[in-house]
Amino acid sequence: MPTYYPSLTTVSLDKTRHYASLDHTGDFSTTLLTEACTQAQLLSIPKGVWQLYAYDQDAHTILANEPVVLTADSIIRHLVGAVEVAIMAVTIGLHLEQEVSNLFLKNQYTLGLLLDAAGTTAVEMSCDAVCSVIAQQAAQGGLALGSRVSPGYGDWPIEIQFEVLELAAGASIGLSVTDTKMLVPRKSVTAIVGLYPYHHRISLTNQQALSSDKCDQTSCQARKETNKNDPGI
Amino acid sequence: MIQVFDGAMGTMLHQAGLKPGQCPELWNIEEPAKITAIHRQYVTAGATIIETNTFGANRIKLSHYGLESKVAALNTAAVTTAREAAGIQTKVAGSVGPTGKFIAPLGDLSFDSAYEVFYEQISALDQAGIDYIIIETIIDIQEMRAALLAAKAATRKPIICQLSFQADGRTVTGTDPRTAAITLESLGANVIGANCSLGPAQLLPVIETLAQNCSIPLSVQPNAGMPQLVDGQTIFPMTAAEMANWIPRLVAAGATYIGGCCGTTPAHIKAIRQTIDSLPQQNVPRNPAFTALTSRIRTVSIGAQFAPVIIGERINPTGRKSLAADIKAGNFNTVKKEALAQIKAGAGILDVNMGVPGINQAITMKQAIEDLSTLVDVPLAIDTTDPATLEAGLKAYPGRALINSVTAETERLETFLPLAKKYGAAVLCLPIADNGVPLTAIDRVAVAKKLVALAQEYGLRRHDLLLDALVMTVATDATAAAETLLTLKLYREQLGCPAVMGLSNVSFGLPRRDLMNAAFCAMAVDAGLDAPILNPFDPLMQDVWSAAVALSGRNPQAVVEYSKKYVDMPALPQTTSTATPDILSQIRQSVINGETTGVAPLVRQALTENLTPLVITDQALTAAMNEVGQAFGQGRCFLPQVLLSAETMRTAFNTIKEVLPAHQVQSLGTVLLATVKGDIHDLGKNIVAALMENNGFTVIDLGKDVAPETIVAAAQKHQPQIIGLCALMTTTLPQIDSTIAALKIAGFAGKTIVGGAVLTDSYARQSGADAYADNGVTAVNIAKQLLGS
Repeated sequence: MPTYYPSLTTVSLDKTRHYASLDHTGDFSTTLLTEACTQAQLLSIPKGVWQLYAYDQDAHTILANEPVVLTADSIIRHLVGAVEVAIMAVTIGLHLEQEVSNLFLKNQYTLGLLLDAAGTTAVEMSCDAVCSVIAQQAAQGGLALGSRVSPGYGDWPIEIQFEVLELAAGASIGLSVTDTKMLVPRKSVTAIVGLYPYHHRISLTNQQALSSDKCDQTSCQARKETNKNDPGI
Repeated sequence: MIQVFDGAMGTMLHQAGLKPGQCPELWNIEEPAKITAIHRQYVTAGATIIETNTFGANRIKLSHYGLESKVAALNTAAVTTAREAAGIQTKVAGSVGPTGKFIAPLGDLSFDSAYEVFYEQISALDQAGIDYIIIETIIDIQEMRAALLAAKAATRKPIICQLSFQADGRTVTGTDPRTAAITLESLGANVIGANCSLGPAQLLPVIETLAQNCSIPLSVQPNAGMPQLVDGQTIFPMTAAEMANWIPRLVAAGATYIGGCCGTTPAHIKAIRQTIDSLPQQNVPRNPAFTALTSRIRTVSIGAQFAPVIIGERINPTGRKSLAADIKAGNFNTVKKEALAQIKAGAGILDVNMGVPGINQAITMKQAIEDLSTLVDVPLAIDTTDPATLEAGLKAYPGRALINSVTAETERLETFLPLAKKYGAAVLCLPIADNGVPLTAIDRVAVAKKLVALAQEYGLRRHDLLLDALVMTVATDATAAAETLLTLKLYREQLGCPAVMGLSNVSFGLPRRDLMNAAFCAMAVDAGLDAPILNPFDPLMQDVWSAAVALSGRNPQAVVEYSKKYVDMPALPQTTSTATPDILSQIRQSVINGETTGVAPLVRQALTENLTPLVITDQALTAAMNEVGQAFGQGRCFLPQVLLSAETMRTAFNTIKEVLPAHQVQSLGTVLLATVKGDIHDLGKNIVAALMENNGFTVIDLGKDVAPETIVAAAQKHQPQIIGLCALMTTTLPQIDSTIAALKIAGFAGKTIVGGAVLTDSYARQSGADAYADNGVTAVNIAKQLLGS
């Protein structure tokens, strides 16, 4: 099964600020936030694994060896148009959550809370990195990635956690599910991502758009791809 | 002359009848005529280089079809089919694609295994008689390094290295074109370029960047636009004419090997050929060569035209017992911490030395390099005197490292320089000959010149070399520093290689070494030092470095950075100030501000002023926490700030205890806390515990995943006034009900408060709880209300 252990050469301060509910407090100690992000970098061991499955959007079914029928409206709606799905599992391991507990025991509550937020940032960044790999491979087959959705979001019940982890082969990176459907380690994510025909989701950066702006081929495919406002689309 | 590659093979195979799920390379044996026919179409279209149908013909990819034992047969057959179509004029390039796995530490495949897989395939292609090897569609620079090293060992034919970039201009694992150009040219690629993933519009800036950062030929093979899936089939929408119209731009950017990737057909290649034939001969100028080191995702340039850069020296166990013990025990936590801290302190390159006696330094160096290469983005210098350790580090490093160091001593040269050449590393050269250290600048430059000439004999280029000016102590030779500074000047005048050196020897045996080192550093930067090896934590050195770099004029940003760094420094004490608030107000404000270190002296002062602990607690500490609680309730402050205030409050209490050990704090009551059975999340419960404790409650914390019977037993033992229960998930909510029911059956007479992400007020009531708290601050307020305090 495909695995990827992303590098974590930074843990975003801004995202950590957000997860710590500090978006609106400009004067909060950057030193503590930075310390939390640095510790998260040191303590995280990011690992990701995923499997691709064909998806029957009419029957809302993931075509695994044992097909999984989706019943929740939100996830069915989310996957409209998808021809394949990637089921992924990502974790940053146990060390960070252990250190959060240790910090509370040592009465360093604030750093504990911020480290927990930085851990969330780390696992989210790791998920994004794994999605980049899936996207790169999918693009060669003419497919683009949608956004990821995890069990427990919307009306997709958390009770499906075990099946999702199995579909992702999450055990291969040390992930397990408790009887109460919680992931161990806690700083982990399972998710489903739809793979959609490319023309639904063309998205390029401004830098690429500039190349065609400089060009005099007004009806070129590259211009169409890089300029959403082009009347030719 | 511009070479024209062929176009897509996969697209053509599917048109020729290859079914989804079939192994494309198996057709080299089963349908050779069809493969030859495809090649022939490209030759007819004007391709001067055709690629073999071997993109996935490595052992790992073929194992998906059970064909892993057919590597040699499939590659050999592929070359035969290509040769049949090529004739005399057209060259054949052996196509080598990725393994589909990531190399450790980004995946489970070892570097050596990847190397063997590539070596096996490339050997087969070489023996079958290809003219080039083309390693293509690689998304990770470390996989490219393994493939390129294998290719250099397996063939003497030119090697073309093409990475796949994403729309953000980087490979999936983060390598930018500049870093790729420097790393791969140093490693010995003959041609570098980009293919697949993107169309010509998106690859144009990639080629432009590659051209600015290397001197070797460039190749580009774009897709025919961005793919679309239509009726279950992948369509690449760009027409041959549209694609050909991009060719003049790609040529002007520096590409001299041009073809197509996914979705391109003989029609595209024909149009490209015709466009190229109509172009005037062009000679795209390249930037002069410069010295640079790379990590996987970043380049650091070194030299007179660039900003000086610090090489952090702290990852070195020499003289550091605790670090040495950690390394010996295989514990790299301190190494990682030192790495991040040095970068934070300003280091742009990190020196890595694993010189601990009694360990296998090669294995240790490999581990350290792997760990650091996924943790930091700055380039590394591998600091060792042992060739095996050096090779282990260079192999594991996904970039262009600096070797620290070689001398002009014969043995070191013979072992280190071939490794530098093989792995594309830069080399720090110390002008120390077999007969010892030259004392004068003139003699050092003479030895350095010999070293440079010798290194070039080993195939290294001038810009692969950095020179150490040798620093001796001024305590024993008053002219030592002057000779070093003169050496730096002569290096720049006569050799042009960047200068690197450790500084601290200069002050050996003298008092205030920090002062001497910092002053020497500033003088050395002026004399031509490009990269000092130093301890970036030294505060005086940090200050002097900032000033020296700003003054050097070599970094336009340095003055701005200097200003930013020092403009916010605390000003001198203000002479005109308003009246100082009384001490209780100061303590209160200190708790509100979360000044964990500032509150203790204030509390001591209050006690000295004979204020009682009760007064301090009531009028300053509790008052502050109440204010913080109110601000939280009104959305004016947030949980981390509340916790910081709680920590400050705790420090204040501890200070009172320290000064008056006999003082007893009156508890507001006992609170027993637990996260219910099946729930392993305890952050929320921990926050409540912290706030309760620092608001004067005695807290018994039972932890997480606690069964009802355990909570009942603890309630009977501790007789708490309040029990707080926490559940995060819908799956553990029922445990709130069971625990409260069990407590009631056991006759618990106190109050229960429940909370947690999915709990609601109505659920709390229905479960029989006395109260619901949606956050820690509310929990404290409710507890106080319930106990009538």
